[in-house]
Amino acid sequence: METNIIIKLNNVNFYYGQSRALTDISMTFGKNKVTALIGPSGCGKSTLLRLLNRMNDLIDGTRVEGEILFEDKNIYAPDIDPVEIRRKIGMVFQKPNPFPKTIYNNIAYGPKLTGVNAGDLDTLVEQSLKQSVLWNEVKDILNKSAMNLSGGQQQRLCIARALAMKPDILLMDEPTSALDPISTAKIEDLIEELKKDYTIIIVTHNMQQAARISDETAFFYIGNLVEYNKTEKIFTKPDVKQTEDYITGRFG
Amino acid sequence: MTRQTKEIIIKYIFFLFALVSVIVLGLIVFSLFREGLPIFGKVSVKDFIFGMEWYPTYDPPNFGIFPLIVGSLIVTLLATVIAVPLGVMAAIYISEIAPQAIKEILKSVIELLAGLPSVVLGFFGMVIVAPWLQDTFDLPTGLNIINASMILALMAIPTISSISEDALYAVPREFKEASYALGATKFETIVQVILPAAMSGISTAVMLGMARAIGETMVVLMVAGGAAAIPESLFDSVRPMPASIAAEMGEAPFRSGHYQALFAIGIVLFFMTLFFNLVADYVSHKFRQIGSGTL
Repeated sequence: METNIIIKLNNVNFYYGQSRALTDISMTFGKNKVTALIGPSGCGKSTLLRLLNRMNDLIDGTRVEGEILFEDKNIYAPDIDPVEIRRKIGMVFQKPNPFPKTIYNNIAYGPKLTGVNAGDLDTLVEQSLKQSVLWNEVKDILNKSAMNLSGGQQQRLCIARALAMKPDILLMDEPTSALDPISTAKIEDLIEELKKDYTIIIVTHNMQQAARISDETAFFYIGNLVEYNKTEKIFTKPDVKQTEDYITGRFG
Repeated sequence: MTRQTKEIIIKYIFFLFALVSVIVLGLIVFSLFREGLPIFGKVSVKDFIFGMEWYPTYDPPNFGIFPLIVGSLIVTLLATVIAVPLGVMAAIYISEIAPQAIKEILKSVIELLAGLPSVVLGFFGMVIVAPWLQDTFDLPTGLNIINASMILALMAIPTISSISEDALYAVPREFKEASYALGATKFETIVQVILPAAMSGISTAVMLGMARAIGETMVVLMVAGGAAAIPESLFDSVRPMPASIAAEMGEAPFRSGHYQALFAIGIVLFFMTLFFNLVADYVSHKFRQIGSGTL
């Protein structure tokens, strides 16, 4: 069982200045699983997600207690370079955020930083765009600005951009909340496809989405992990009353 | 009076106030041309602009302002070369790197630099920089291109830095986060994402900094040395256009050829600053900052 765990949190507390955003979180994330983090706004689900690739380092005045083990190494240990972590743990954001560069250069940006040579770059770009099912739509306009794509295409581009780094884990922070239903469906299909090769951790506001795409679901409330179980179980027979109230729409 | 007529009257009163600056500008331009254009009855436009001899008080006088144009351009260009790296680097440091406390201090100091009267900067150039240049490089005078350029750069830095800083701040946070999330370092993010995204704003900053430098009068009057000749080295004195006007206007007899020539220099200067402003405007529109507003 242990071998199927890719991330393990031990008693993690997180503070923005004086205020505590996460309280004593201990949990594990399974390899090649889709794990959904749900809960009302301000429950700490996005904060937790951003802890996993040290994006919260970029915010002044934050502090982490406890440990987060990625392949048995604490990513908050002093000798760990956050840049290395972010290369292995990719992220897709709420709002599609392609760079104001060409489609090709958006994908090539990350690999170039790691020194992938120009010859392999073309293959990598094609492969990444195929993985995110965008290739057929953009193969003739690779040198056009990514800003001309639709919102849904931009988001798939951002997924391709993250995949081009060949990460182990893909973090997704409400990746469809800014998209129309058709684009959302495409991204959900894509997630289904990607979980064969990647571990996906997704924050979502949309409970139906969590139910549709995830294997495991964690419910957070005001910085606490309330319940964490198989998605099916959470949505049919939750153990905790609060979880049931949230997923049935009694609050949130 | 009904409420509606009041509204209409108020509207027109404000319109008139807004119109005042336009009217004043129009009057200035008109008088500039009225006083300056008659010189071209005495000397052709070509001889005026490309003439190598500026001896307005000789008999017969020579009204060739090419050495003055060269003087203006060379101090402006050199000032830009000095001020752009300093101003842009300062802006990057302030907006992306500096801790909050240092940021506040730096910003106020740069604003203070912008607030220094140009005569104070000119005085500094005359009394401190000039003797130092003269001693260090063993020159006949320290009042020269290098000196004027350095002082003009000091004046252009606050403009370049504060406008660049605004442009850098306007780069959406999402771009930076995307870059960091792909494992870019801060330096890689600044060079490859933030700077390109802010380039239009930074170009505007540079153009406005140059416009500031080319029109500046007091500094070049005090420290450029005043020689109306084409310089052969950066340690030569020059006489930029604003300095000529300021220095000679008091002595030029009313509506004499000299007087008209000085106004005509004003026209040339007017077109130059207009050009810089138009380019700045064009650049900022053409390469409008690409935001994240794509949804």
